Amino acid sequence: MTPHLRTAALALAVLLTAAACAKAEEPQAAPAATGTAGQQVVQSPSGSAGPTCTLQQFGGTKFDLKTAVVGFSQSEKEANPFRIAETKSIKDEAAKLGITNLKVTNAQSQFSKQITDVQQLIAQGVQLLVIAPLNSDGWEPVLQQAAAKKIPIITVDRKINAKACSDYLTFIGSDFYEQGKRAADRMIEALGGKGKVAILLGAPGNNVTTERTNGFKDRVKEKAPGITISFEQTGEFAREKGQQVTEQLIQSNPDINGIYAENDEMALGAVTALKGAGKEPGTIKIVSVDGTRSAVQGIADGWLYAVIESNPRFGPLAFETAQKFLDGAAIPDKVIISDRDYTGENAKDSLGEAY
Amino acid sequence: MNREQTSRLLQQHGAVMVLGLLVIVGSLAFDSFATPANAASVVVSSSFLAIIAIGMTFVIISGGIDLSVGSLFVLGGVLAAYGSRHGLLAALLLPLAVCGIVGLLQGLVIARTGMAPFIVTLAGLLGVRGLMLAISDEGATTYLVEDRTFAALGQNELLGLSYPVYVTIALALAAMVLLQRTGFGQNVYAIGGNEQAAALMGVPVARTKVYVYVMSGLLAGLAGALNAARLSSGVTILGIGLELDAIAAVVIGGTLLTGGAGGISGSVAGVLLLGVIQSIINQVGSLTSAFQQVVSGAFLALVVVAQRLLSKAQRLT
Repeated sequence: MTPHLRTAALALAVLLTAAACAKAEEPQAAPAATGTAGQQVVQSPSGSAGPTCTLQQFGGTKFDLKTAVVGFSQSEKEANPFRIAETKSIKDEAAKLGITNLKVTNAQSQFSKQITDVQQLIAQGVQLLVIAPLNSDGWEPVLQQAAAKKIPIITVDRKINAKACSDYLTFIGSDFYEQGKRAADRMIEALGGKGKVAILLGAPGNNVTTERTNGFKDRVKEKAPGITISFEQTGEFAREKGQQVTEQLIQSNPDINGIYAENDEMALGAVTALKGAGKEPGTIKIVSVDGTRSAVQGIADGWLYAVIESNPRFGPLAFETAQKFLDGAAIPDKVIISDRDYTGENAKDSLGEAY
Repeated sequence: MNREQTSRLLQQHGAVMVLGLLVIVGSLAFDSFATPANAASVVVSSSFLAIIAIGMTFVIISGGIDLSVGSLFVLGGVLAAYGSRHGLLAALLLPLAVCGIVGLLQGLVIARTGMAPFIVTLAGLLGVRGLMLAISDEGATTYLVEDRTFAALGQNELLGLSYPVYVTIALALAAMVLLQRTGFGQNVYAIGGNEQAAALMGVPVARTKVYVYVMSGLLAGLAGALNAARLSSGVTILGIGLELDAIAAVVIGGTLLTGGAGGISGSVAGVLLLGVIQSIINQVGSLTSAFQQVVSGAFLALVVVAQRLLSKAQRLT
């Protein structure tokens, strides 16, 4: 290969990679978000059964949140509605509370970068860390440094495999297993308890995918033996991949009755595939998890049957938890938020609360 | 010093100079930039990419490319964590053996069949990641490092820097000697400069190429293993796109993508440059992810364009 050809080929490869990463997000006419619309609500009773943690047990010292340096480490690019809403919520709430020194980093889906990001936040002297972890394992170097400086860590949306109250303070997030179960309930309702269902799995290797799958399957087995799961493939939480897998699905399983997509992006990909195959809205029932505005609009248009919410607005709850902790209150080792259901009945009215 | 010498110096050490400039700017602009803790985080996190970039420098000088290093890095880490349940030796030897063999196979195919390194190592990139997913249950199983001695190798510190930094320094020095002071190093340059001429002069082209890819594979595996020791687990989502970072660092460091010229010190400076750019972006701490990419892309473009202009100036004089 001549040098020029090689350079050209490399450039082409880089371009292809870049193109594959780019996500098309249709512009949405966003209704003006009202103050507390769609805010997270803690499930009650909240974690009263589990162990709790106080400032004294943790061994930290009280500081004023307003004047403190606070670090937020985001895991993925703000290229999908969940991450956009999550980062925005943290930034907005910090601004609302008058926290002027908020440092935000983004690991762009590279785990090594996230570790470095958090270490550099610690080096910048943060007193509170909010982390959206990309991966549950591999946090050893960060946890050691944070523990040495007694910096409380709140993890949001995914867990870190470590000890609450010593390695980190607490976890705030949804119950993904429960989300899977509720998605199954909606699917059973949609199909009247019998039929063939396909699952578009999320990205392999994280607890979200595993728990949303297990919750769904366990519930179907328990409640509706008439439903068979005849197809499972990963759509990696991405719209294009969801579309591609669904295109193959309707070729190989033309008699499919329902599709369970483990996030909205894949469900929207599936809708595109069904449209392309000339299907009418509602002939194949789609249930998904997230509650993005496009998906809730999809319910209103009749393409999706139901969406189980996974609320990404962690800002208010994260800072509220931190403030309570600093005031000396006992914090549960996990704060599970309660997520709503979007169905045909409430989709139109709830559009303003979707993200 | 005349103009020709100046521009040659600039091209060879452009990365070092830009690096120095960025460090000065960063220190002036941000109070928490030039602190020991921040410097340590940049150096420690750069050391793994630096180990890979050392191997990549040999490959690129020889006129090749190795796209499999990102996958070998993650495979090395998973194998090291898996092997650590049988002790320190297994944790180190298992990844080195497997990654070395992958490098050997790639090198043999490239050297014996004359197939393009781009395609052969692209196959390696895909195949090796598949292998990693196969042994980790589609990435769902994360093996934890069981052996404390092995974990200490990635975590223990000497003068505020963890051991992998010293391993990297030692490897970089050894690689410099190998490249500049041995017959093997001269052969690598000769093959990259003009393969036919090198073959006519009696340079063992095939053998040298095989060595270069074995070395690149071994170093990627070692970097993965050390990183697994640092993280105490064989994280399965690492290394995606890492080969491009390594190639970028090598090219920024003044090694020609067409082969035949370059050096180790530039590559190490290139790696540190990438690390410092990231650190400065983190210091700003308010850029959106999209804008972060624009900034780091713009930095890279600037460095490469500057180098291009300098090498032109050198040719004209």
